[in-house]
Amino acid sequence: MNAVLKSAANDTAWPLQARGIVHAYEGRYVLQGVDLTLAPGSVLGLIGRNGAGKSTLIRALLGLLQPQAGEAFVFGEPALRMSDASKVRIAYVPQQPDALAWLSAAQMFDYLSRFYPKWDRAYAQRMLDRWQIVPNKVMAKLSPGERQRVDLIRALASQPDLLVLDEPVAALDPVARRELLREIALRAGEQGATVLFSTHIVSDLERVASDIAFLHEGKLLLHCATDDTKECYARLWLPADQAVHVPADALSRRRHDDGSVSCVVARDAGARWPDAANRPGARIDALGLEDLFVEIAE
Amino acid sequence: MDASLLTIQPASPEPIYRQIVEQLRRLIASGQLHAGELLPSVRDVAGFHAINPMTVSRAYGLAESEGLLERLRGKGMAVASNGHATHSQSQRLALLDPQLSAVAQHARELELSADAVMRRLHKLMGDSK
Repeated sequence: MNAVLKSAANDTAWPLQARGIVHAYEGRYVLQGVDLTLAPGSVLGLIGRNGAGKSTLIRALLGLLQPQAGEAFVFGEPALRMSDASKVRIAYVPQQPDALAWLSAAQMFDYLSRFYPKWDRAYAQRMLDRWQIVPNKVMAKLSPGERQRVDLIRALASQPDLLVLDEPVAALDPVARRELLREIALRAGEQGATVLFSTHIVSDLERVASDIAFLHEGKLLLHCATDDTKECYARLWLPADQAVHVPADALSRRRHDDGSVSCVVARDAGARWPDAANRPGARIDALGLEDLFVEIAE
Repeated sequence: MDASLLTIQPASPEPIYRQIVEQLRRLIASGQLHAGELLPSVRDVAGFHAINPMTVSRAYGLAESEGLLERLRGKGMAVASNGHATHSQSQRLALLDPQLSAVAQHARELELSADAVMRRLHKLMGDSK
């Protein structure tokens, strides 16, 4: 028993942890009890429809918003009372960055480099060049896309142990997007950085995410390793005369006009599909993450 | 071998680490990769394709445990030296698994028995039995 208690106390090492986060806006519940733990070096892709509450969850995880219930921890400290030592280890890029808009990118980088002990000046300079940002232009005059690119460079140049990106790819063209994904993948894989990024572009996440979580109707569904998700879930289609055999624990079910049914099912502990998959005419289709997401979110 | 020899399809239902292992298997079986040939580093593959290095490590690890690759101390991964001459029947049979699984699935959809499919397969392979 002591050992169990002890290991629970050691969980303080998790870069991010949340328990039972609940939040509502004007009486509409956005988060309905979200639990989440990010292991060091993992890359979690958070998928959800527009308005699913991804940004709210991210803000609650980082202590930028006080949830109505539940608590979040960053490197073991309560997110709402984080120490400065922890704050310099994290970098967060919001969907619409607007901080320090009266400075130019060069001025902001110069200012921030004094606070971040691991600030990589050469990287920041190189990326401004690559992503074609005029370093001396006041940021308020940059386009929203340029502004977000500056903020991504800012986040990466601080060499954070925890990198949190809210819809980071919207402002990037395909080449820059690939560069960002490469950067995320290598920093996590080689330097042990932990990354959380939200997106509704599922194919980006399939490249780099080690884990995925669907935020749907206020809850996290299918929080597991990306590879396992693809291997463990599939769509089961049953013809009309077999439709009654839809497994009770199917994750979603849809009845088609001809009476046939599709549902999302999971393999059991022995890696077998539910018995219904062996019914006459039944069909199991492997799904990519995007199809899986659509099946469940619809 | 160059990292660009691999093709990654992130949206495929097949996990990326399996895509890599399957491609290595085919490249080795077809002789495009020779015994002893060095593989690109995990970093090179991950960087080139913008995929998670852990996915590449997992693929290499799986390929090593299947005897496709071997770890050369200080040099990284190389195509296993035992070559395909020594590929056991079960190893070669395993190469057909994806296609056979697809055949099995289609046969079930068409409500055909395994016996009927087997008879057809025997015929296709020129086996008179």
